Amino acid sequence: MNHTPQILLVEDNPNDAELTIRALKKNNFSQALTHVKDGQEALDFLFGVGAYAERDIKEQPKVVLLDLKLPKVHGIEVLRQIRANPDTKLLPVVVLTSSREDSDLVNAYNLGVNSYIVKPVDYEKFTEAVTQLGIYWTLLNEIPLEK
Amino acid sequence: MSDEPDLQPESDALKRAEENVRQLVLELAAVNEELDSFSYAVSHDLRAPLRAVDGFARILVEDHAAQLDDEGRRLLSVIQREALRTDQLISGLLIFSRLGRQKMVLEPIDMHALVQSVFDGLAARSPERKLHLDLRPLPPAMGDLAMIRQVWWNLIDNAIKFTQGRDPGEIEIGTQTGEGGELIYYIKDNGEGFDMRLAGKIFTIFQRFHGEGQFPGIAGLGLGLALVRRIVHRHGGRTWAESEVDHGATFFFTLP
Repeated sequence: MNHTPQILLVEDNPNDAELTIRALKKNNFSQALTHVKDGQEALDFLFGVGAYAERDIKEQPKVVLLDLKLPKVHGIEVLRQIRANPDTKLLPVVVLTSSREDSDLVNAYNLGVNSYIVKPVDYEKFTEAVTQLGIYWTLLNEIPLEK
Repeated sequence: MSDEPDLQPESDALKRAEENVRQLVLELAAVNEELDSFSYAVSHDLRAPLRAVDGFARILVEDHAAQLDDEGRRLLSVIQREALRTDQLISGLLIFSRLGRQKMVLEPIDMHALVQSVFDGLAARSPERKLHLDLRPLPPAMGDLAMIRQVWWNLIDNAIKFTQGRDPGEIEIGTQTGEGGELIYYIKDNGEGFDMRLAGKIFTIFQRFHGEGQFPGIAGLGLGLALVRRIVHRHGGRTWAESEVDHGATFFFTLP
């Protein structure tokens, strides 16, 4: 049995989460999605601790969609910890945020983010962006088996 | 027994005054910085609810179209349109705020070539318009190239928009010499002009002089001239305008 999602969505805003999940559902990506609501929960999930102690962390999602302005642990810190941990350092991480702030972009790229997407306000463009992300990172992109 | 006892308090007062000015400059810089980061934060935090307004209105149309009549759908389209327009206003605010924080790199600028290339670029976007540019010789200037290009872009873009319906749209760009030999740039058009009673407000952000939809795009948000003023002020210059309704407008700026 494999319960590992293809996509880990880290998003605290329930509306943004609903819109993202809806866009993915339209393209049949949603069964393979897990949604966590803050930075700490994201780290617990990925590292298999706390509420996720039972999880087999050898199985990781194909991509993490990471918001930046998150409660408890900021998205940039989540990214830093993902890259610092040997088990997750190669994990594809896509920042999906409202911030186009230069310092956020520079920090994310310095920490080896795989992509940085600014969420469009226009729902059609938003759906289009999320759909493309889903196709690209879960179907087209290849990741190394050995970490 | 000389003048010293008199001089001492005077230089003390001078020092205090200098210290006061230094303090005020520091406070002003801090307030400016705060304002910029405030408008930046507001702009970002406003986007998430807007995305929800547009998105959920769209979902209502997609999932419940059968229960909606034409009027219901029209009302929803108003909600969506206004959400997207608010987003454009926020984008404008962000550009404006970023402009205040961005570092300036001063370099010599070939103003003549710059104006010609900006005009050519903008004229190519309106191939249906008959436009005539009378470009007088412009001496080289010192400034931040990207910002000064933005100044000309907005001024020429405005002139092209305001001369809609003129055949041809005439735009004249040149310099004048002001008091004390100051170099003044001007751009004059034969467009519809504006009421001089509004001249004081025309460079204010989100101040528009034309009905909605008449001039779509970012300048239609009342941002273009506000950006011009902000850039010119950052260079230490001034902006002003003269016009008569139906007899064109002239915009002026200086770059010390």
